[in-house]
Amino acid sequence: MSAQDYTRQEMMAIATGREIRDGELAIFGVGLAMLAGYFAQAHHAPRVRAMTEGGVYGATPVGGLPWGIECNRISTNATSFTNAIDALGCLVASGRCDVGIIGAAQVDRFGNVNTTGIWDGRIGETYRPPKTRLTGAGGANDIACGAKRTLIMVAHEPKRFVDKVTYISSPGYLEGGDARSRYGFPGGGPAAIITTLGILRPHAETREFMLDAWFAFSDVAEIKANTGWDLKLSPEAAIVPEPTDAELAALRRVDETGALRKRS
Amino acid sequence: MPDSKLITLSEAVARFTWDGMQYASGAALPVGSDAIVFGRELLRQQRRDLHAVFHCNSQQLNLLAAMGAVTRAECGFSGLEVFGFANGLRRAVETDRLVLEDYSNLSMPLRLLGGALGWPFVPATVNIGSDIQDRSAFAPGHYPSREKIPTVVDPFSGRTIGVFRPLTPDLAAIHVTLADPLGNAIMLGTEWSRFELSRAAKKVVLIADAIVDTGCMRQFPNLVRIPDIIVEAVVHWPFAAWPQGSPGMYDIDEAHMTLMNRALATEAGTEAYVRDYVHGFRDIASYLDMIGRETCARLSGTATGFLLDPYRQWLLPDGGMLA
Repeated sequence: MSAQDYTRQEMMAIATGREIRDGELAIFGVGLAMLAGYFAQAHHAPRVRAMTEGGVYGATPVGGLPWGIECNRISTNATSFTNAIDALGCLVASGRCDVGIIGAAQVDRFGNVNTTGIWDGRIGETYRPPKTRLTGAGGANDIACGAKRTLIMVAHEPKRFVDKVTYISSPGYLEGGDARSRYGFPGGGPAAIITTLGILRPHAETREFMLDAWFAFSDVAEIKANTGWDLKLSPEAAIVPEPTDAELAALRRVDETGALRKRS
Repeated sequence: MPDSKLITLSEAVARFTWDGMQYASGAALPVGSDAIVFGRELLRQQRRDLHAVFHCNSQQLNLLAAMGAVTRAECGFSGLEVFGFANGLRRAVETDRLVLEDYSNLSMPLRLLGGALGWPFVPATVNIGSDIQDRSAFAPGHYPSREKIPTVVDPFSGRTIGVFRPLTPDLAAIHVTLADPLGNAIMLGTEWSRFELSRAAKKVVLIADAIVDTGCMRQFPNLVRIPDIIVEAVVHWPFAAWPQGSPGMYDIDEAHMTLMNRALATEAGTEAYVRDYVHGFRDIASYLDMIGRETCARLSGTATGFLLDPYRQWLLPDGGMLA
Protein backbone atom coordinates (compact mmCIF):
# COMPACT_ATOMS: atom_id res chain seq x y z
CA MET A 1 0.00 0.00 0.00
CA SER A 2 1.30 3.37 -0.94
CA ALA A 3 1.80 5.70 1.95
CA GLN A 4 0.00 8.41 0.02
CA ASP A 5 -3.52 8.95 -1.17
CA TYR A 6 -3.80 9.13 -4.94
CA THR A 7 -6.59 9.45 -7.52
CA ARG A 8 -7.72 6.95 -10.14
CA GLN A 9 -6.55 9.36 -12.82
CA GLU A 10 -3.10 9.48 -11.25
CA MET A 11 -2.96 5.68 -11.24
CA MET A 12 -3.97 5.67 -14.91
CA ALA A 13 -1.23 8.17 -15.76
CA ILE A 14 1.42 6.23 -13.82
CA ALA A 15 0.37 2.90 -15.36
CA THR A 16 0.57 4.53 -18.80
CA GLY A 17 3.94 6.07 -18.04
CA ARG A 18 5.31 2.67 -16.97
CA GLU A 19 4.76 1.49 -20.58
CA ILE A 20 7.28 4.07 -21.86
CA ARG A 21 10.86 2.81 -22.00
CA ASP A 22 14.00 4.87 -21.69
CA GLY A 23 15.46 6.04 -24.99
CA GLU A 24 12.28 5.62 -27.03
CA LEU A 25 11.11 8.11 -29.63
CA ALA A 26 7.74 9.08 -28.23
CA ILE A 27 4.84 11.36 -29.14
CA PHE A 28 2.28 12.50 -26.57
CA GLY A 29 -1.19 13.79 -27.34
CA VAL A 30 -2.57 16.82 -25.60
CA GLY A 31 -4.04 16.69 -22.10
CA LEU A 32 -3.60 13.80 -19.68
CA ALA A 33 -1.55 11.79 -22.20
CA MET A 34 1.08 14.51 -22.07
CA LEU A 35 1.27 14.26 -18.27
CA ALA A 36 1.71 10.47 -18.46
CA GLY A 37 4.50 10.81 -21.00
CA TYR A 38 6.39 13.54 -19.21
CA PHE A 39 5.93 11.64 -15.94
CA ALA A 40 7.82 8.73 -17.53
CA GLN A 41 10.58 11.12 -18.54
CA ALA A 42 10.75 12.61 -15.04
CA HIS A 43 10.75 9.21 -13.35
CA HIS A 44 12.28 6.24 -15.20
CA ALA A 45 12.90 7.28 -18.80
CA PRO A 46 15.15 10.36 -18.65
CA ARG A 47 16.47 9.74 -22.15
CA VAL A 48 13.05 9.36 -23.79
CA ARG A 49 13.05 11.41 -27.00
CA ALA A 50 9.75 13.21 -26.56
CA MET A 51 7.92 15.39 -29.06
CA THR A 52 4.52 16.92 -29.59
CA GLU A 53 2.69 16.81 -32.90
CA GLY A 54 3.35 20.52 -33.38
CA GLY A 55 7.04 19.78 -33.81
CA VAL A 56 8.13 20.94 -30.36
CA TYR A 57 11.29 19.07 -29.39
CA GLY A 58 13.46 18.89 -26.30
CA ALA A 59 10.82 20.52 -24.09
CA THR A 60 9.25 19.69 -20.76
CA PRO A 61 6.09 21.34 -19.43
CA VAL A 62 6.61 24.37 -17.20
CA GLY A 63 3.87 25.73 -14.95
CA GLY A 64 1.43 22.82 -15.23
CA LEU A 65 -0.55 20.92 -17.84
CA PRO A 66 -0.11 22.66 -21.20
CA TRP A 67 -3.37 23.95 -22.69
CA GLY A 68 -2.33 22.61 -26.06
CA ILE A 69 0.51 21.14 -28.08
CA GLU A 70 1.95 24.59 -28.77
CA CYS A 71 1.05 26.31 -25.51
CA ASN A 72 3.71 28.54 -23.99
CA ARG A 73 3.92 26.02 -21.14
CA ILE A 74 5.61 23.62 -23.58
CA SER A 75 7.38 26.29 -25.64
CA THR A 76 9.44 27.77 -22.81
CA ASN A 77 12.38 25.36 -22.92
CA ALA A 78 12.26 23.73 -26.36
CA THR A 79 15.44 23.05 -28.30
CA SER A 80 13.71 22.91 -31.69
CA PHE A 81 10.46 24.13 -33.21
CA THR A 82 9.51 22.68 -36.57
CA ASN A 83 6.07 21.82 -37.92
CA ALA A 84 3.27 19.26 -38.22
CA ILE A 85 4.54 17.52 -41.36
CA ASP A 86 7.89 17.04 -39.65
CA ALA A 87 6.55 15.61 -36.38
CA LEU A 88 3.48 13.67 -37.54
CA GLY A 89 4.87 12.86 -40.98
CA CYS A 90 8.65 12.45 -41.02
CA LEU A 91 8.85 11.09 -37.49
CA VAL A 92 5.52 9.26 -37.01
CA ALA A 93 3.78 8.31 -40.29
CA SER A 94 7.18 7.17 -41.55
CA GLY A 95 7.16 4.40 -38.93
CA ARG A 96 10.08 5.81 -36.96
CA CYS A 97 8.24 6.62 -33.74
CA ASP A 98 8.34 3.89 -31.06
CA VAL A 99 5.32 4.83 -29.01
CA GLY A 100 2.42 7.28 -28.96
CA ILE A 101 -0.16 8.04 -26.29
CA ILE A 102 -3.66 9.01 -27.41
CA GLY A 103 -7.01 9.59 -25.69
CA ALA A 104 -10.49 8.43 -26.66
CA ALA A 105 -14.14 9.39 -26.22
CA GLN A 106 -15.06 5.79 -27.06
CA VAL A 107 -13.01 2.66 -27.66
CA ASP A 108 -14.20 -0.76 -28.79
CA ARG A 109 -13.23 -4.40 -28.35
CA PHE A 110 -10.64 -4.17 -31.15
CA GLY A 111 -9.11 -0.92 -29.92
CA ASN A 112 -10.74 1.34 -32.52
CA VAL A 113 -11.13 4.88 -31.22
CA ASN A 114 -13.96 7.35 -31.77
CA THR A 115 -13.31 11.02 -31.02
CA THR A 116 -15.53 12.42 -33.77
CA GLY A 117 -19.14 12.25 -32.59
CA ILE A 118 -21.98 10.45 -30.86
CA TRP A 119 -24.86 9.41 -33.10
CA ASP A 120 -28.23 8.00 -32.03
CA GLY A 121 -27.73 4.50 -33.38
CA ARG A 122 -25.85 3.60 -36.56
CA ILE A 123 -24.99 6.37 -38.99
CA GLY A 124 -26.57 4.45 -41.90
CA GLU A 125 -25.76 4.51 -45.60
CA THR A 126 -26.00 8.30 -45.84
CA TYR A 127 -23.73 10.35 -43.66
CA ARG A 128 -25.50 12.66 -41.23
CA PRO A 129 -24.12 14.96 -38.55
CA PRO A 130 -23.74 13.51 -35.07
CA LYS A 131 -26.11 14.29 -32.23
CA THR A 132 -23.07 15.34 -30.23
CA ARG A 133 -20.06 16.59 -32.12
CA LEU A 134 -16.71 15.82 -30.47
CA THR A 135 -13.19 16.99 -31.35
CA GLY A 136 -12.35 14.97 -34.44
CA ALA A 137 -9.20 12.92 -34.95
CA GLY A 138 -6.47 15.54 -34.55
CA GLY A 139 -3.10 13.80 -34.67
CA ALA A 140 -4.40 10.59 -33.09
CA ASN A 141 -5.29 9.02 -36.45
CA ASP A 142 -1.75 9.66 -37.69
CA ILE A 143 -0.23 8.26 -34.50
CA ALA A 144 -2.54 5.20 -34.62
CA CYS A 145 -1.42 4.53 -38.21
CA GLY A 146 2.28 5.25 -37.78
CA ALA A 147 3.58 4.67 -34.24
CA LYS A 148 5.12 1.25 -33.64
CA ARG A 149 2.81 0.89 -30.67
CA THR A 150 -0.02 3.05 -29.41
CA LEU A 151 -1.22 3.44 -25.84
CA ILE A 152 -4.84 4.46 -25.39
CA MET A 153 -5.65 6.30 -22.18
CA VAL A 154 -9.34 6.57 -21.30
CA ALA A 155 -11.67 6.81 -18.28
CA HIS A 156 -13.35 3.43 -17.73
CA GLU A 157 -17.10 4.03 -18.14
CA PRO A 158 -19.76 1.94 -19.94
CA LYS A 159 -20.56 4.76 -22.39
CA ARG A 160 -16.91 4.82 -23.45
CA PHE A 161 -16.25 1.05 -23.69
CA VAL A 162 -18.52 -0.09 -26.52
CA ASP A 163 -18.68 -3.30 -28.53
CA LYS A 164 -18.22 -1.41 -31.81
CA VAL A 165 -17.62 2.30 -32.20
CA THR A 166 -20.08 4.14 -34.47
CA TYR A 167 -17.26 6.01 -36.18
CA ILE A 168 -13.61 4.98 -36.35
CA SER A 169 -11.57 8.18 -35.98
CA SER A 170 -8.31 6.33 -35.28
CA PRO A 171 -7.85 2.70 -36.33
CA GLY A 172 -7.09 -0.04 -33.84
CA TYR A 173 -7.33 -3.59 -35.16
CA LEU A 174 -10.49 -2.72 -37.19
CA GLU A 175 -12.56 -5.97 -37.33
CA GLY A 176 -9.85 -7.91 -35.52
CA GLY A 177 -7.46 -10.66 -36.63
CA ASP A 178 -5.18 -9.42 -39.40
CA ALA A 179 -7.68 -6.84 -40.75
CA ARG A 180 -5.20 -4.05 -40.11
CA SER A 181 -2.65 -5.56 -42.50
CA ARG A 182 -4.89 -4.67 -45.50
CA TYR A 183 -3.72 -1.07 -45.19
CA GLY A 184 0.02 -1.60 -44.79
CA PHE A 185 0.31 0.78 -41.82
CA PRO A 186 3.87 1.03 -40.51
CA GLY A 187 2.44 1.17 -36.97
CA GLY A 188 1.63 -2.02 -35.09
CA GLY A 189 -1.61 -0.85 -33.48
CA PRO A 190 -2.69 -0.35 -29.89
CA ALA A 191 -0.53 -2.23 -27.38
CA ALA A 192 -2.69 -1.41 -24.37
CA ILE A 193 -5.78 0.44 -23.23
CA ILE A 194 -4.97 1.94 -19.86
CA THR A 195 -8.02 3.07 -17.92
CA THR A 196 -9.05 4.47 -14.56
CA LEU A 197 -9.77 0.86 -13.47
CA GLY A 198 -7.12 -1.34 -15.10
CA ILE A 199 -5.20 -2.36 -18.21
CA LEU A 200 -6.52 -4.18 -21.30
CA ARG A 201 -4.25 -5.83 -23.86
CA PRO A 202 -5.02 -7.46 -27.22
CA HIS A 203 -5.12 -11.23 -27.76
CA ALA A 204 -2.19 -12.25 -29.99
CA GLU A 205 -4.38 -13.67 -32.79
CA THR A 206 -7.93 -12.36 -32.48
CA ARG A 207 -6.72 -8.91 -31.42
CA GLU A 208 -9.69 -8.65 -29.08
CA PHE A 209 -8.86 -6.64 -25.98
CA MET A 210 -8.79 -8.70 -22.77
CA LEU A 211 -8.46 -7.68 -19.16
CA ASP A 212 -4.79 -7.89 -18.28
CA ALA A 213 -4.62 -6.11 -14.94
CA TRP A 214 -6.64 -4.29 -12.32
CA PHE A 215 -5.67 -1.70 -9.75
CA ALA A 216 -5.61 -1.92 -5.95
CA PHE A 217 -8.92 -0.01 -5.76
CA SER A 218 -10.72 -1.94 -8.57
CA ASP A 219 -11.61 -5.57 -9.31
CA VAL A 220 -12.63 -7.81 -12.19
CA ALA A 221 -16.35 -7.48 -11.49
CA GLU A 222 -16.26 -3.67 -11.48
CA ILE A 223 -14.25 -3.58 -14.71
CA LYS A 224 -16.57 -6.02 -16.48
CA ALA A 225 -19.59 -4.03 -15.33
CA ASN A 226 -18.09 -0.91 -16.91
CA THR A 227 -17.22 -2.56 -20.24
CA GLY A 228 -19.77 -2.74 -23.06
CA TRP A 229 -18.66 -6.14 -24.39
CA ASP A 230 -18.17 -9.51 -22.76
CA LEU A 231 -14.67 -8.79 -21.54
CA LYS A 232 -12.49 -11.89 -21.32
CA LEU A 233 -9.91 -12.33 -18.60
CA SER A 234 -6.31 -12.91 -19.71
CA PRO A 235 -4.76 -16.06 -18.14
CA GLU A 236 -1.94 -13.89 -16.79
CA ALA A 237 -4.25 -11.20 -15.38
CA ALA A 238 -2.95 -9.73 -12.13
CA ILE A 239 -3.04 -6.72 -9.90
CA VAL A 240 -0.93 -3.67 -10.81
CA PRO A 241 1.53 -2.50 -8.15
CA GLU A 242 0.42 0.74 -6.51
CA PRO A 243 2.31 3.96 -7.25
CA THR A 244 5.52 4.31 -5.30
CA ASP A 245 6.24 7.51 -3.42
CA ALA A 246 8.89 8.34 -6.02
CA GLU A 247 6.40 7.83 -8.86
CA LEU A 248 3.78 10.03 -7.23
CA ALA A 249 6.33 12.72 -6.49
CA ALA A 250 7.55 12.69 -10.10
CA LEU A 251 4.01 12.79 -11.48
CA ARG A 252 3.01 15.68 -9.24
CA ARG A 253 6.06 17.69 -10.25
CA VAL A 254 4.88 17.41 -13.87
CA ASP A 255 1.21 17.87 -12.99
CA GLU A 256 1.90 21.13 -11.21
CA THR A 257 -1.67 22.45 -11.57
CA GLY A 258 -3.20 19.21 -10.29
CA ALA A 259 -5.19 18.25 -13.41
CA LEU A 260 -5.05 14.59 -12.37
CA ARG A 261 -5.95 15.22 -8.76
CA LYS A 262 -9.41 16.57 -9.53
CA ARG A 263 -11.92 13.91 -8.50
CA SER A 264 -14.77 13.69 -10.97
CA MET B 1 13.34 50.25 -52.55
CA PRO B 2 10.17 48.11 -52.68
CA ASP B 3 7.00 49.63 -51.28
CA SER B 4 5.61 48.89 -47.85
CA LYS B 5 2.72 46.42 -47.86
CA LEU B 6 1.35 47.61 -44.53
CA ILE B 7 -2.40 48.18 -44.68
CA THR B 8 -5.13 48.37 -42.07
CA LEU B 9 -7.12 45.37 -40.87
CA SER B 10 -10.37 46.69 -42.34
CA GLU B 11 -8.71 47.38 -45.68
CA ALA B 12 -7.24 43.86 -45.78
CA VAL B 13 -10.65 42.26 -45.23
CA ALA B 14 -12.31 44.61 -47.72
CA ARG B 15 -9.72 43.97 -50.43
CA PHE B 16 -8.96 40.28 -50.07
CA THR B 17 -12.17 38.56 -48.91
CA TRP B 18 -15.61 37.98 -50.41
CA ASP B 19 -18.75 35.98 -49.69
CA GLY B 20 -18.49 32.33 -50.66
CA MET B 21 -14.71 32.26 -50.83
CA GLN B 22 -12.44 29.48 -49.64
CA TYR B 23 -10.82 31.08 -46.63
CA ALA B 24 -7.85 29.62 -44.77
CA SER B 25 -6.43 30.89 -41.55
CA GLY B 26 -3.24 29.91 -39.96
CA ALA B 27 -1.63 28.41 -38.26
CA ALA B 28 -5.04 27.67 -36.82
CA LEU B 29 -3.71 26.13 -33.67
CA PRO B 30 -6.57 25.66 -31.21
CA VAL B 31 -4.94 27.57 -28.38
CA GLY B 32 -1.97 29.17 -30.14
CA SER B 33 -1.01 31.23 -33.11
CA ASP B 34 -3.97 32.14 -35.30
CA ALA B 35 -5.13 35.40 -36.90
CA ILE B 36 -8.20 35.59 -34.71
CA VAL B 37 -8.64 39.34 -35.05
CA PHE B 38 -9.01 38.82 -38.81
CA GLY B 39 -12.07 36.66 -38.08
CA ARG B 40 -13.53 39.45 -35.91
CA GLU B 41 -13.13 41.84 -38.86
CA LEU B 42 -14.73 39.31 -41.25
CA LEU B 43 -17.81 39.47 -39.02
CA ARG B 44 -17.69 43.29 -38.82
CA GLN B 45 -17.79 43.34 -42.64
CA GLN B 46 -20.56 40.70 -42.59
CA ARG B 47 -18.85 38.09 -44.76
CA ARG B 48 -21.11 35.07 -45.38
CA ASP B 49 -21.05 31.55 -46.75
CA LEU B 50 -17.34 31.03 -46.19
CA HIS B 51 -15.69 27.70 -46.96
CA ALA B 52 -13.20 27.48 -44.12
CA VAL B 53 -9.92 25.60 -44.44
CA PHE B 54 -8.46 25.35 -40.96
CA HIS B 55 -5.71 22.86 -40.12
CA CYS B 56 -7.34 22.88 -36.68
CA ASN B 57 -10.29 24.69 -35.29
CA SER B 58 -9.41 27.78 -33.27
CA GLN B 59 -11.45 30.41 -31.47
CA GLN B 60 -11.68 32.13 -34.86
CA LEU B 61 -13.51 29.26 -36.55
CA ASN B 62 -15.50 28.73 -33.35
CA LEU B 63 -16.68 32.37 -33.55
CA LEU B 64 -17.32 32.41 -37.32
CA ALA B 65 -19.28 29.15 -37.04
CA ALA B 66 -21.31 30.39 -34.07
CA MET B 67 -22.35 33.44 -36.14
CA GLY B 68 -23.29 31.32 -39.15
CA ALA B 69 -20.64 32.93 -41.38
CA VAL B 70 -19.17 29.54 -42.38
CA THR B 71 -21.24 26.95 -44.25
CA ARG B 72 -18.49 24.45 -45.11
CA ALA B 73 -15.31 23.63 -43.22
CA GLU B 74 -12.42 21.21 -43.53
CA CYS B 75 -10.43 20.47 -40.39
CA GLY B 76 -7.99 18.05 -38.82
CA PHE B 77 -9.17 18.77 -35.29
CA SER B 78 -12.33 20.54 -34.21
CA GLY B 79 -11.89 21.07 -30.47
CA LEU B 80 -10.07 23.57 -28.26
CA GLU B 81 -7.60 21.09 -26.73
CA VAL B 82 -7.65 21.32 -22.92
CA PHE B 83 -10.37 24.02 -23.10
CA GLY B 84 -12.73 21.31 -24.37
CA PHE B 85 -15.22 21.19 -27.21
CA ALA B 86 -15.61 24.24 -29.44
CA ASN B 87 -19.18 25.17 -28.57
CA GLY B 88 -19.87 27.49 -31.51
CA LEU B 89 -18.58 25.03 -34.06
CA ARG B 90 -20.29 22.02 -32.50
CA ARG B 91 -23.62 23.84 -32.35
CA ALA B 92 -23.35 24.73 -36.04
CA VAL B 93 -22.46 21.12 -36.94
CA GLU B 94 -25.14 19.51 -34.76
CA THR B 95 -27.86 21.76 -36.26
CA ASP B 96 -26.54 21.10 -39.79
CA ARG B 97 -25.91 24.78 -40.50
CA LEU B 98 -22.26 23.97 -41.19
CA VAL B 99 -21.02 20.90 -43.05
CA LEU B 100 -17.74 19.74 -41.53
CA GLU B 101 -15.42 17.45 -43.48
CA ASP B 102 -13.02 15.60 -41.19
CA TYR B 103 -9.35 15.02 -41.82
CA SER B 104 -6.42 14.67 -39.42
CA ASN B 105 -3.56 16.87 -38.25
CA LEU B 106 -1.20 15.29 -40.80
CA SER B 107 -3.55 15.04 -43.76
CA MET B 108 -4.46 18.75 -43.69
CA PRO B 109 -0.85 20.00 -44.08
CA LEU B 110 -0.12 17.24 -46.62
CA ARG B 111 -3.06 18.52 -48.68
CA LEU B 112 -1.66 22.06 -48.40
CA LEU B 113 1.77 20.78 -49.45
CA GLY B 114 0.14 19.10 -52.45
CA GLY B 115 -1.52 22.39 -53.36
CA ALA B 116 1.73 24.27 -52.87
CA LEU B 117 3.61 21.91 -55.21
CA GLY B 118 0.86 21.73 -57.80
CA TRP B 119 0.58 17.97 -57.36
CA PRO B 120 -2.53 16.23 -58.77
CA PHE B 121 -2.94 14.26 -55.54
CA VAL B 122 -1.05 13.36 -52.39
CA PRO B 123 -0.45 9.73 -51.38
CA ALA B 124 -2.28 8.82 -48.19
CA THR B 125 -0.74 6.43 -45.69
CA VAL B 126 -2.87 7.82 -42.87
CA ASN B 127 -6.66 8.34 -42.62
CA ILE B 128 -7.17 5.21 -44.77
CA GLY B 129 -8.97 2.28 -43.15
CA SER B 130 -10.95 4.57 -40.85
CA ASP B 131 -14.21 6.48 -41.20
CA ILE B 132 -12.20 9.57 -42.11
CA GLN B 133 -11.89 7.80 -45.46
CA ASP B 134 -15.23 5.96 -45.50
CA ARG B 135 -17.49 8.86 -44.44
CA SER B 136 -17.74 12.14 -46.34
CA ALA B 137 -19.85 15.05 -45.13
CA PHE B 138 -19.40 16.78 -48.51
CA ALA B 139 -20.51 13.66 -50.45
CA PRO B 140 -22.79 12.01 -47.88
CA GLY B 141 -24.66 9.67 -50.21
CA HIS B 142 -22.04 6.96 -50.52
CA TYR B 143 -20.77 4.49 -47.96
CA PRO B 144 -18.00 3.61 -47.99
CA SER B 145 -17.12 6.90 -49.67
CA ARG B 146 -14.41 6.84 -52.30
CA GLU B 147 -14.94 10.45 -53.32
CA LYS B 148 -13.12 12.01 -50.40
CA ILE B 149 -10.03 9.80 -50.22
CA PRO B 150 -10.09 7.61 -53.35
CA THR B 151 -7.64 4.77 -53.88
CA VAL B 152 -4.90 4.23 -56.45
CA VAL B 153 -2.42 1.42 -57.01
CA ASP B 154 1.13 2.30 -56.03
CA PRO B 155 3.04 1.57 -59.27
CA PHE B 156 6.15 0.59 -57.33
CA SER B 157 4.75 -1.82 -54.74
CA GLY B 158 1.46 -2.78 -56.38
CA ARG B 159 -0.27 -1.92 -53.12
CA THR B 160 -3.58 -0.06 -52.99
CA ILE B 161 -3.22 3.27 -51.18
CA GLY B 162 -5.40 6.34 -50.63
CA VAL B 163 -4.99 9.78 -52.17
CA PHE B 164 -5.74 13.20 -50.74
CA ARG B 165 -7.14 16.11 -52.71
CA PRO B 166 -4.70 19.08 -52.62
CA LEU B 167 -5.85 22.41 -51.18
CA THR B 168 -5.40 25.85 -52.77
CA PRO B 169 -7.46 28.28 -50.69
CA ASP B 170 -8.39 31.67 -52.15
CA LEU B 171 -6.78 33.46 -49.24
CA ALA B 172 -4.63 32.57 -46.26
CA ALA B 173 -4.69 35.06 -43.39
CA ILE B 174 -1.58 33.97 -41.55
CA HIS B 175 -0.66 35.00 -38.03
CA VAL B 176 3.05 35.60 -37.54
CA THR B 177 5.05 36.94 -34.63
CA LEU B 178 7.16 39.38 -36.60
CA ALA B 179 6.87 40.84 -40.09
CA ASP B 180 8.71 43.62 -41.83
CA PRO B 181 6.78 46.18 -43.91
CA LEU B 182 7.67 44.25 -47.09
CA GLY B 183 6.07 41.00 -45.95
CA ASN B 184 8.98 38.91 -44.71
CA ALA B 185 7.97 36.97 -41.61
CA ILE B 186 9.52 35.23 -38.61
CA MET B 187 7.41 32.84 -36.53
CA LEU B 188 8.36 32.00 -32.96
CA GLY B 189 7.12 28.63 -31.75
CA THR B 190 6.05 25.78 -33.96
CA GLU B 191 5.14 26.94 -37.44
CA TRP B 192 2.53 24.13 -37.54
CA SER B 193 1.55 24.35 -41.26
CA ARG B 194 2.16 27.99 -42.05
CA PHE B 195 5.00 27.20 -44.48
CA GLU B 196 2.82 24.95 -46.66
CA LEU B 197 -0.21 27.21 -46.25
CA SER B 198 1.69 30.29 -47.40
CA ARG B 199 2.63 28.46 -50.64
CA ALA B 200 -0.73 26.74 -51.19
CA ALA B 201 -2.96 29.81 -50.91
CA LYS B 202 -3.66 31.95 -53.98
CA LYS B 203 -3.11 35.06 -51.85
CA VAL B 204 -1.44 35.61 -48.47
CA VAL B 205 -2.08 38.35 -45.93
CA LEU B 206 0.11 38.42 -42.84
CA ILE B 207 -1.25 39.52 -39.48
CA ALA B 208 1.77 40.32 -37.33
CA ASP B 209 1.95 40.88 -33.58
CA ALA B 210 4.84 43.26 -34.19
CA ILE B 211 6.59 44.95 -37.10
CA VAL B 212 10.36 44.91 -37.42
CA ASP B 213 12.83 46.67 -39.65
CA THR B 214 14.00 44.64 -42.66
CA GLY B 215 17.45 44.63 -41.06
CA CYS B 216 16.07 41.95 -38.74
CA MET B 217 15.35 39.68 -41.69
CA ARG B 218 18.83 40.26 -43.10
CA GLN B 219 20.29 39.23 -39.73
CA PHE B 220 18.22 36.01 -39.53
CA PRO B 221 17.40 35.03 -43.13
CA ASN B 222 17.32 31.33 -42.27
CA LEU B 223 14.40 31.99 -39.95
CA VAL B 224 12.33 33.87 -42.53
CA ARG B 225 10.08 30.99 -43.58
CA ILE B 226 7.59 33.26 -45.35
CA PRO B 227 9.37 35.64 -47.77
CA ASP B 228 7.87 38.88 -49.09
CA ILE B 229 7.63 37.66 -52.69
CA ILE B 230 4.53 35.57 -51.90
CA VAL B 231 2.82 38.10 -49.60
CA GLU B 232 0.15 40.59 -50.72
CA ALA B 233 -0.24 42.65 -47.59
CA VAL B 234 0.83 43.01 -43.98
CA VAL B 235 -1.45 44.00 -41.12
CA HIS B 236 0.08 45.03 -37.82
CA TRP B 237 -2.10 44.05 -34.90
CA PRO B 238 -0.78 43.46 -31.38
CA PHE B 239 -2.42 40.54 -29.56
CA ALA B 240 -3.78 39.39 -32.94
CA ALA B 241 -4.18 35.82 -31.63
CA TRP B 242 -5.88 36.85 -28.38
CA PRO B 243 -7.32 35.11 -26.36
CA GLN B 244 -4.96 32.45 -27.67
CA GLY B 245 -1.23 32.69 -27.06
CA SER B 246 1.75 33.68 -29.19
CA PRO B 247 5.14 32.28 -28.09
CA GLY B 248 7.59 35.00 -27.19
CA MET B 249 4.84 37.64 -27.10
CA TYR B 250 1.95 36.74 -24.79
CA ASP B 251 0.35 33.84 -22.95
CA ILE B 252 -3.14 32.44 -23.38
CA ASP B 253 -5.85 34.52 -21.70
CA GLU B 254 -7.34 31.56 -19.84
CA ALA B 255 -10.31 33.47 -18.42
CA HIS B 256 -11.33 34.85 -21.80
CA MET B 257 -10.85 31.47 -23.54
CA THR B 258 -13.44 30.05 -21.14
CA LEU B 259 -15.73 33.10 -21.26
CA MET B 260 -15.70 33.13 -25.06
CA ASN B 261 -16.36 29.41 -25.48
CA ARG B 262 -19.15 29.54 -22.91
CA ALA B 263 -20.74 32.49 -24.74
CA LEU B 264 -20.59 30.73 -28.10
CA ALA B 265 -22.60 27.79 -26.69
CA THR B 266 -25.87 29.72 -27.18
CA GLU B 267 -27.38 32.14 -29.70
CA ALA B 268 -27.90 34.77 -27.03
CA GLY B 269 -24.39 34.37 -25.67
CA THR B 270 -22.96 34.67 -29.17
CA GLU B 271 -24.91 37.88 -29.83
CA ALA B 272 -23.64 39.38 -26.61
CA TYR B 273 -20.09 38.28 -27.37
CA VAL B 274 -20.20 39.83 -30.86
CA ARG B 275 -21.59 43.08 -29.46
CA ASP B 276 -18.85 43.30 -26.83
CA TYR B 277 -15.81 41.78 -28.52
CA VAL B 278 -16.37 42.06 -32.27
CA HIS B 279 -17.97 45.52 -32.37
CA GLY B 280 -16.29 46.54 -29.12
CA PHE B 281 -13.25 48.24 -30.70
CA ARG B 282 -12.47 50.75 -33.45
CA ASP B 283 -8.70 50.57 -33.69
CA ILE B 284 -5.66 49.02 -32.03
CA ALA B 285 -5.83 51.30 -28.99
CA SER B 286 -9.47 50.54 -28.26
CA TYR B 287 -8.81 46.84 -28.95
CA LEU B 288 -6.16 46.81 -26.24
CA ASP B 289 -8.54 48.72 -23.94
CA MET B 290 -11.16 46.05 -24.65
CA ILE B 291 -8.76 43.27 -23.59
CA GLY B 292 -7.74 45.43 -20.63
CA ARG B 293 -4.37 47.11 -20.38
CA GLU B 294 -3.58 45.26 -17.15
CA THR B 295 -4.43 41.95 -18.77
CA CYS B 296 -2.21 42.83 -21.72
CA ALA B 297 0.66 43.58 -19.38
CA ARG B 298 0.14 40.35 -17.45
CA LEU B 299 -0.07 38.19 -20.59
CA SER B 300 3.04 39.91 -22.01
CA GLY B 301 4.96 38.76 -18.95
CA THR B 302 5.15 35.31 -20.53
CA ALA B 303 7.97 32.96 -19.52
CA THR B 304 8.67 32.64 -23.25
CA GLY B 305 9.53 36.35 -23.49
CA PHE B 306 13.23 35.59 -23.84
CA LEU B 307 12.48 34.09 -27.27
CA LEU B 308 11.90 37.64 -28.52
CA ASP B 309 15.18 39.01 -27.16
CA PRO B 310 17.30 38.56 -30.31
CA TYR B 311 14.78 40.57 -32.34
CA ARG B 312 13.90 43.39 -29.96
CA GLN B 313 16.40 45.89 -31.36
CA TRP B 314 14.55 45.90 -34.71
CA LEU B 315 11.02 46.37 -33.35
CA LEU B 316 9.32 49.43 -34.86
CA PRO B 317 7.43 51.00 -31.96
CA ASP B 318 4.64 52.52 -34.03
CA GLY B 319 4.08 49.35 -36.03
CA GLY B 320 6.00 50.80 -38.95
CA MET B 321 3.10 52.96 -40.13
CA LEU B 322 5.16 56.14 -39.85
CA ALA B 323 8.30 54.62 -41.33
